[in-house]
Amino acid sequence: MRVNKNWKQIILFLLPALILFGVYFIYPLGFVIVTSFSKWNGISAPVFHGFKNYIELFQDETFRLSMRNNIVWALVLGFVQIPLAAVMAMILARKPKGWKFFRTAYFLPNVISQVALAMMWLAIYNAEFGILNNLLEMMGFEGLTRNWLGNMDTAFPAVLVQQVFYIGYFMVVILASRMGIPDSYYEAAEIDGANVFQQEFYITLPMLKPILITTMTLALAYGMRHFESTYLMTNGGPAHSTSVMGILLYRNLGALNYGESNAIGAILIVFGGATIALIRWLFSRNLDADDGIQ
Amino acid sequence: MKKKVILMLITTILALSVVMITGCKKEDESKADQPAKQELITLKWPTIWVGEDSKAPMIAALVDEFNAMNEGRYKVEIEANPDYDAYRNKLNSQIAAGVVPDLFVLNPDPTSLSFYEGDLLMDFAEELSGSWGDNFVSGAISGATIDGALKSIPYEVGYTPVWYNMDIFKAAGIPDIPKTYDEFFDACEKIKAAGFIPTSQMTGGTNAWTSMLWFSHIAASIGGPDVWEKDITDPVFVQAAEILRMMYIDGNTSKDAVGGDAGVSGGHFLAGRSAMFINGPWYIGRVKNDAPDVFKATKIGPAPAVEGGFEGAQIGFPQSNLAAGATDDPAKKEAVIAFMKWMTLPENVKKISMDAGSMFAVKFGVDDGEDVDLVQGQFMNAVNDSAFVNTHFQANFATDVVAEFGQALARMALGKATAEEFIQQIADKID
Repeated sequence: MRVNKNWKQIILFLLPALILFGVYFIYPLGFVIVTSFSKWNGISAPVFHGFKNYIELFQDETFRLSMRNNIVWALVLGFVQIPLAAVMAMILARKPKGWKFFRTAYFLPNVISQVALAMMWLAIYNAEFGILNNLLEMMGFEGLTRNWLGNMDTAFPAVLVQQVFYIGYFMVVILASRMGIPDSYYEAAEIDGANVFQQEFYITLPMLKPILITTMTLALAYGMRHFESTYLMTNGGPAHSTSVMGILLYRNLGALNYGESNAIGAILIVFGGATIALIRWLFSRNLDADDGIQ
Repeated sequence: MKKKVILMLITTILALSVVMITGCKKEDESKADQPAKQELITLKWPTIWVGEDSKAPMIAALVDEFNAMNEGRYKVEIEANPDYDAYRNKLNSQIAAGVVPDLFVLNPDPTSLSFYEGDLLMDFAEELSGSWGDNFVSGAISGATIDGALKSIPYEVGYTPVWYNMDIFKAAGIPDIPKTYDEFFDACEKIKAAGFIPTSQMTGGTNAWTSMLWFSHIAASIGGPDVWEKDITDPVFVQAAEILRMMYIDGNTSKDAVGGDAGVSGGHFLAGRSAMFINGPWYIGRVKNDAPDVFKATKIGPAPAVEGGFEGAQIGFPQSNLAAGATDDPAKKEAVIAFMKWMTLPENVKKISMDAGSMFAVKFGVDDGEDVDLVQGQFMNAVNDSAFVNTHFQANFATDVVAEFGQALARMALGKATAEEFIQQIADKID
């Protein structure tokens, strides 16, 4: 193995970053994992508890439901939100009339705080005065009105749907990448007789593959650690139907069950890491094969 | 090149060290030249009594007054935390990390009282054993003492009788508040017929507050003063759960009660839509300011009694205690005690109570000529007229069990669980 002759300087310059990384990431990570094997209320000293926290968690119906909900979140964000964002980016990249307005309009929710958005959706879904129920009543569908966030059958889809349509962030990222594809590719395809759909399918999609993998990975990671809008809109209810692992973690913190809380944290880390690794492995195999296109 | 880089780094480090050392020396020298002067002690107080909270204006005024009186010596800085649940969770995390705020508000329950373990909180037992302790109502100090340690000072107390909107009762043709649950459900029918919502309920928030209080009232009425000594699977609680379930069906509460939080349940009462609601005296200021018509129509009274059970039950509990982080610095401890004494001074507590309607564990007198708020007066009467006072569900169970109450209640309210199953879900969490 060849050693870089400047290794001392490299280490010297990397040291501050490594120290910070160690203090603010490696140490807390190790702390979470070690204490996840303990019974600890945060005040007294932790008592070694073996795998009991993990066993109890996997035996708990609410935890299993929360885990399932996290998987659904990840899949929906990765495989519904990203394709929606990609389609929208492809449309806007063709610069139809008012494309700049739509680009801004779709991105706008990303500059509004999650709390404000959650409050807005609470008002939309409210059973007594909500816009959605009012709209249904006006259209003569009174039978469809319900307490959207207070019904075990509709609460989870209701929270999920409001999040899926916030495609702006990923749309802008994909759009930036799409704008980098030379127009000459499309002009050549047009001369060869390719229609718009063929151009998008055979030119845009393969060219966007790296950015699609990146955005999909980010969306999946977000789905696995999802917390904010569920906490704000339903707090995991009714009857745990919208619960996610982050909510259980937070609730256990509040109850001073730090051992159990950290066990959930460790599962989240392992689960999230494994999902991301799997996705990257699956897609990167194809990416390597498609390298010729790049 | 290599030598140059290393030389540059060493020179920079040396230069920085010289600057820091000389800077520190100069500072020390300048301090030594000055005559001894007491340093200003600043105490940070993250508190929930800010923003919309009815106590906020008077608390802010008292803190300002304290700071003015102790200018140059002590300064209390309020850190606003208007979200009660977030405040509680933030405190838990901070305390677990060993970072205890200088001053804070502790809601006493089995979970938060575990902060008494270890030496993170300041112990006021010695100070309060003297004349300062005489300011408090009987039993308050002993109630906050665990194993001889008094690590939170009893402050605000809560009593939660029922708020009745008598305008709605009148519109529904009901002459008086219901005394039994038979009368209660008859009243519900009439209230619905008049176009109003009979009760405000909620399954959301961290504790399903309003419904948890209804449940506590019903359980007290069936099980009596010692009800919380019974196991949660006792038939008393199943019977109480069944009555609570009935409050959720047939339009006896609002459509958004399942999943609704305190804003939803309180909102219906404030808007004059619901006829019966439960909350503590701290809500008086809110109703008075935000819904003056409802305030005028409000009658505070006991919850109905279950036939064959105990009459005159009332729910009361220590709501908020004052606490502080332990310190080895005697001057800082002195500052904390000075502030605690200031906040628990009977005339100061009276100011907050008269302004916000809240009730306290500190005794103060009200002169004949003084204008006591009408609703606050009714609160006092409701407490005085009660046969016994029980704590609520939340005061008797850990935070995670309390959180499960709301989730289990939602299941029962949606018809997915019976009263027995509701109780069993809570019992499973306790296990």
